[in-house]
Amino acid sequence: MGITKKYWKGLEELKETPEFIKHKEQEFPHQQTIEDFLADEKLNETSTARRDFLKFLGFSVAAATLAACEAPVTKAVPYVVKPENVTPGMPTWYASTYYDGVSYASILVKTREGRPIYIKGNKDFGFTKGAVNPQIIASVLGLYDSERVTGATANGKLTSWSKVDDAISADIKKAKDVVLLTNSIISPSMKRAISEMALSLNGEGGAKFSHVTYDAVSYAAIREANFKNFGAPIIPSYDFSKAKTIVSVGADFLSSWLLPTEFAKQFGEGRNPDGEWMSKFIHFESVMSVTGSNADYRGMIKPSEQAAVLAYILKGLGGSTSVDSKLKDSAKVAADQAIASLKKSKKESIIICGSNNVGLQMLTNKINNLLNTYGTTIDMNNSIELFQAQDSQVEKLVNNIIAGKGPDVLLMYGVNPVYTLPNGTDFAKALKGIKTSVSFASHADETASLVTYICPDHHALESWNDLKPKQSEYAIAQPTIRPLHNTASALESMLVWNGKRARGGKDSTVAYDYIKETFTTLFPTADFAYTTHNSCIASTVTPQSLVYKDAPVTGLPKAGEVEVVMYQKSAIGTGIHANNPWLQEMPDPITKVTWDNYITMNPVEMVEAGFVTTYDQENGLNIATITVGNKSLTLPVYPLPGQALKTVGVALGYGRGANGEKIGKAAFQTKEYGGYVENEDGKPASIGGNAYSLTSFSNDTIEFSAIAKVNKADGTYPIAATQIHHTVMGRHSIVRETTLDIFTSKDKEAYNPAHTLQRLNKDLEHEEAPVSEFDLWDAHPVEKIGHRWGMTIDLSSCIGCGSCLIACQSENNVPVVGKDEVRRGREMHWLRIDRYFASDEESTVGTRKDKDSFSYEKAEIAALNPKVIHMPLMCQHCNHAPCETVCPVAATTHSNEGLNQMTYNRCIGTRYCANNCPYKVRRFNWFNYPSYKKFTEVNPAQDDLGRMVLNPDVTVRTRGVMEKCSLCVQRIQATKLSAKKDGRVVTDGEFATACSDSCPTNAIIVGDWNDIRSTVRSSSEDKRSYQALEEIGVKPNIWYKVKVRNEVNKELNKLQVVKETAHHGGHGEKKAHH
Amino acid sequence: MQKEAAIREPLILGHKTYHDITEDVCRPIEDKAPKMWYILFGIALIIGLYGVGCILYLLGTGVGVWGLNKTIGWAWDITNFVWWVGIGHAGTLISAVLLLLRQKWRMAINRSAEAMTIFAVFMAGLFPLIHMGRLWVGYWVLPLPNQFGSLWVNFNSPLLWDVFAISTYLSVSLVFWYIGLIPDFATIRDRAKKPLSKKMYSILSFGWSGRAKNWNRFELVSLVLAGLATPLVFSVHSIVSFDFATSVIPGWHTTIFPPYFVAGAVFSGFAMVQTLTLIMRKAMGLEAYIHTKHVEYMNIVIMVTGSIVGTAYITELFISWYSGVEYEAYAFLNRATGPYWWAYWSMMTCNVISPQLMWFRKLRRSLLFTFFISIVVNIGMWFERYVIIVTSIHRDYVPAAWSMHYPSHIDIGVYVGTIGLFFVFFLLFARFFPVLALNEVKTILKGSGQSYKESPDYHNHH
Repeated sequence: MGITKKYWKGLEELKETPEFIKHKEQEFPHQQTIEDFLADEKLNETSTARRDFLKFLGFSVAAATLAACEAPVTKAVPYVVKPENVTPGMPTWYASTYYDGVSYASILVKTREGRPIYIKGNKDFGFTKGAVNPQIIASVLGLYDSERVTGATANGKLTSWSKVDDAISADIKKAKDVVLLTNSIISPSMKRAISEMALSLNGEGGAKFSHVTYDAVSYAAIREANFKNFGAPIIPSYDFSKAKTIVSVGADFLSSWLLPTEFAKQFGEGRNPDGEWMSKFIHFESVMSVTGSNADYRGMIKPSEQAAVLAYILKGLGGSTSVDSKLKDSAKVAADQAIASLKKSKKESIIICGSNNVGLQMLTNKINNLLNTYGTTIDMNNSIELFQAQDSQVEKLVNNIIAGKGPDVLLMYGVNPVYTLPNGTDFAKALKGIKTSVSFASHADETASLVTYICPDHHALESWNDLKPKQSEYAIAQPTIRPLHNTASALESMLVWNGKRARGGKDSTVAYDYIKETFTTLFPTADFAYTTHNSCIASTVTPQSLVYKDAPVTGLPKAGEVEVVMYQKSAIGTGIHANNPWLQEMPDPITKVTWDNYITMNPVEMVEAGFVTTYDQENGLNIATITVGNKSLTLPVYPLPGQALKTVGVALGYGRGANGEKIGKAAFQTKEYGGYVENEDGKPASIGGNAYSLTSFSNDTIEFSAIAKVNKADGTYPIAATQIHHTVMGRHSIVRETTLDIFTSKDKEAYNPAHTLQRLNKDLEHEEAPVSEFDLWDAHPVEKIGHRWGMTIDLSSCIGCGSCLIACQSENNVPVVGKDEVRRGREMHWLRIDRYFASDEESTVGTRKDKDSFSYEKAEIAALNPKVIHMPLMCQHCNHAPCETVCPVAATTHSNEGLNQMTYNRCIGTRYCANNCPYKVRRFNWFNYPSYKKFTEVNPAQDDLGRMVLNPDVTVRTRGVMEKCSLCVQRIQATKLSAKKDGRVVTDGEFATACSDSCPTNAIIVGDWNDIRSTVRSSSEDKRSYQALEEIGVKPNIWYKVKVRNEVNKELNKLQVVKETAHHGGHGEKKAHH
Repeated sequence: MQKEAAIREPLILGHKTYHDITEDVCRPIEDKAPKMWYILFGIALIIGLYGVGCILYLLGTGVGVWGLNKTIGWAWDITNFVWWVGIGHAGTLISAVLLLLRQKWRMAINRSAEAMTIFAVFMAGLFPLIHMGRLWVGYWVLPLPNQFGSLWVNFNSPLLWDVFAISTYLSVSLVFWYIGLIPDFATIRDRAKKPLSKKMYSILSFGWSGRAKNWNRFELVSLVLAGLATPLVFSVHSIVSFDFATSVIPGWHTTIFPPYFVAGAVFSGFAMVQTLTLIMRKAMGLEAYIHTKHVEYMNIVIMVTGSIVGTAYITELFISWYSGVEYEAYAFLNRATGPYWWAYWSMMTCNVISPQLMWFRKLRRSLLFTFFISIVVNIGMWFERYVIIVTSIHRDYVPAAWSMHYPSHIDIGVYVGTIGLFFVFFLLFARFFPVLALNEVKTILKGSGQSYKESPDYHNHH
């Protein structure tokens, strides 16, 4: 079949029209050359009119201009090869361990896209059981500090590691003597490296190498006292959870003393009023501390009276001592309570002393021995390995250096002696005389800026480390990010300089291998990866049969007319985090002052001495000069109720960067319109004054109290405090407090009465009805349908430490606004901790002594030694939220899960919602914090590196919008999503907010209130639960629980009774004659 | 033509003719402006521009340039808003309510009072706008169909009611004012010699021919608008008071606010009218038309409304104690004895005591005294709003959040600036608009003019 199929592309081809044939040859149209085109005569006829030309020109210019106005392109580069464990949008958690020479905790680090952004406690592993403190949570911000030293420096200039290594190795070899000055090294590997160096250097002849441990805030006295009493220079483990009576003499163990992370947790466990027993806590101190604010009984003493208190208790318990035990009345009540309680609880007691005086620690030991607490609450076998300093050695070394007899080579790790030594300025001068000085510091700080070589260590979140905080535990810190800068592990540097290892460069495994080696030696059968996953492993405690033997008590602190105490604030501590804006802006738990240190003085004495005792935005505090020996500090004087008379306090950790050293952008005073306040030499002015200068070496230890003179100076100083009113004005529905006696013996009605309002019944008679029955509005459909997120906050457990506040700031990208804005009452914290002092008009915080004679004027003034309540307050997520009704654009609305939600991009910023919030928890973006020049120095979001800490799950708010606590809605959504993916319901305890996550005492419980088996549900239905300001009917989803103090309060006992006709609170309070 | 009893004081003094009225009112417009006008205008303009500068700085930098804080979200901004709205109350009251009540004396002052109202409402409206954190999305308060999904305004919010109330009030007042101006513009047009002003005034007068038909319609429209405007007089400040009354804040949550605010607004509005007209009559030679009797009438209004306001203050105090509500009681105790006691007692002195002096005939007929009191009243009314707003929220429920408010220089600049702008508008009005409703005044010349009352013709009729 000779049929050839014909394919055709168009009818023209099929029909073979002449045009088709013509064009067939030229499949592609003829390309006309430009010359031909221009030469075309007809071109002139096709005219482009002048108008058209202008149109085209106009259009092109406009188009080009518009195109140039394009918003800046933010490039998001996808992973070409997706790293293992990194899924964009999904967090990765690493178990690690935090140790900065002062604080210790087992932690979990959250990373997003390879960036660590959030730290919380590890509840599953480690003896700290998930407890953290504000400094640990905030330390993640330190990683992104843009003023870190980015590589090895020689004489202040960046250079290569190889040059520095060669120079230092040579210097060490040449040197007659090498001294390594470190903070307490608890890393077994570092210790091994040090001993290897010692071995190789000393092996060559003579004791050439020595290692001196120096803790800025030292606990050497405890070790020394135990050496004298037990023959072993150790710090024992304490267990506050087992102690039915806790007596603390000046030890701020909930916030700064020894191991506050562990102690706060234990303390919380023993303070459960619902449990079988609740501990009684008696505290003696000079400056009101976080710990003192939680005491059942608080005695006000001078530092020199600590001996008398201890002697008084010792004698009261039947012991004998030659120490004078004469006490003032202000401490006697508490001391008698302590004796009575200790007599009852005997060995289930604990008595500690915060002083760094050996004699006082020996007196403390004596009481503990008398009570037989060794073995029950104090474990001498499982010693704490932190704070190993021997102050006498430090003193010797420092004196030698100052005398010009310093070593040839001085290596300094984790210390900043120029700043922290009592004679730091002399040391600074002498440091220049040392041939080779080396610092491992991350910043060119007060000391490091003066050394020959800075060999910056990695940030803790960038490096491997191993730690042995206690005999019973070996912990591992693992890196969570590749080193940001050209830094090197200090461990590696030590090994390199000793000639044992070669530099490993940016992705070095030298330290890792060495740590693994140590681990294998210590735990031959354990798995390193598994231990890393858990962050720690138990190690065996060798029992030591230590027997107490009495030793003479000598060298007790001398008394003076006025004494000063150098204490630590819970945010700034010893000052290592002074460049951390989150911590600088964290209100002090007691004074609520941010960004400053000050002299604390009792307001009663201040009135006598002519100081002002009130302050606000425009009215600052008077200034005074405090003089100790030949040193003085000039600071504002803060009226602190509860400050022992004839004592003053000054916080350590301030006055950093006095010579404008580059220790971090946020470490200096800033001006009203941005930029630094400058001192006379044109350098940025440091914040506050350095109180270390007032400390001294005495009796072989560093003493943190002294005899002082305080003289009023001219002028006032602006104070930035987040709270300027200090009492609760006898209001009973904000905070509630009772005693353990009342709580255990009386009905709920007595100590936690429900609010009732009056209404007319059918017979037109007045009757009382619970607040819940009065309702103007339709209820939001949140009950019994789906989730209803709720929270309970136990005021009895809350110690006011501030961890929740910092965790919230870290989780929710809360901007830092700086001192000037805080002074103006514009801090942005979503969660604040209100602190109320009791006034003389109240028998305890919030309960009026006598309703008829109650004076508002007097109620404004805190008592001499007031009781204190801390109340964390955030958005109450009211089901009848006053903010929601008033927003004209419905930017704040109620979710069907009971959340009061804020839609930032709908907000027009009328601030009506904030005005109408009874709790005043809404925060307005007064400025554009991420870009306005006023906040450049303080707000990390304005720093290219600093903004890496931002949580990508939470919007950074723009100016002009309102914000507030969202109950960590991003976490709720993530929890629901993961439950949904697994095809199950959200389980109780699966979801935690940042605040509940970080609370060391588990005071905050969150969960689904509609889940009737949930912890939050049962907690909210507890007899201690109440809602703040219940009577105004806003129906919050947050419940508070009555604070229970383990004290005898006869007045309160009379006031908190079940009344015949229940009639309390707001309505009709005036005419309550029962 | 209406006539009134001979024993009543005439409303127009002197032996004025119709032509005299025309001359008196048109003279300032047709003559060259006096030097004083330029000086005053210059000062007002400088202050006004400074205010505009402050506003621009505010918009560029953020609401933080004001002295507000986390506790006090409104202070001078809303104080000024309510103050200006209050001032803007007299005009409509005079033109609408007094029209319906056939109070002839209003004709001497209604034009300038209405102008004052409009300019005051301009100033008032500025504050809710600039107090917003994000002015550029402020149009979201309007219930406009949008592409944001199902987003709609929140009809529960008193702020939204404010938007409607203020904008309605402004538009009705503006129309009412303008309608009244039309015949007067026509008179000026007819007299104008320069082509430009003739052109301008002929545009402004909408082709008014003065025929009976025109007058008939004019009267009708005036009555209809008066009927419309009358409820507005009461609604605007009632709604403004809802901003506070519907809240949960002690000191704001007060059910007597609507009548109390309305009385206060009339009180302050009349005081402002007094301030302005007392100067204006002197400066523009209108003593014959606005004289002691008018001032006395207004003083009586001030006295009555001042007494209402005073009663409201005392009622509030009593209720705060009688209610037995802890927070309510403290809010008022704090007002009187707390850190802002000086503001409270300034308010009490200015608003409660000073108007009571008007019981004395001699004082209420004294022009100098009236001028002084009119200023005092407006100071007092500013403090009233400041006391209500700031002293209530600076110490509300939770003592830990208690705070103090300190104004920044931008707060002061914006406030003073609006006073400057207000006078810029008012001086322009006085220069180019007929400040007296001349054609309306002519209607009472025969009935209430002095010369007619004294004429034998007048007595023969009665």
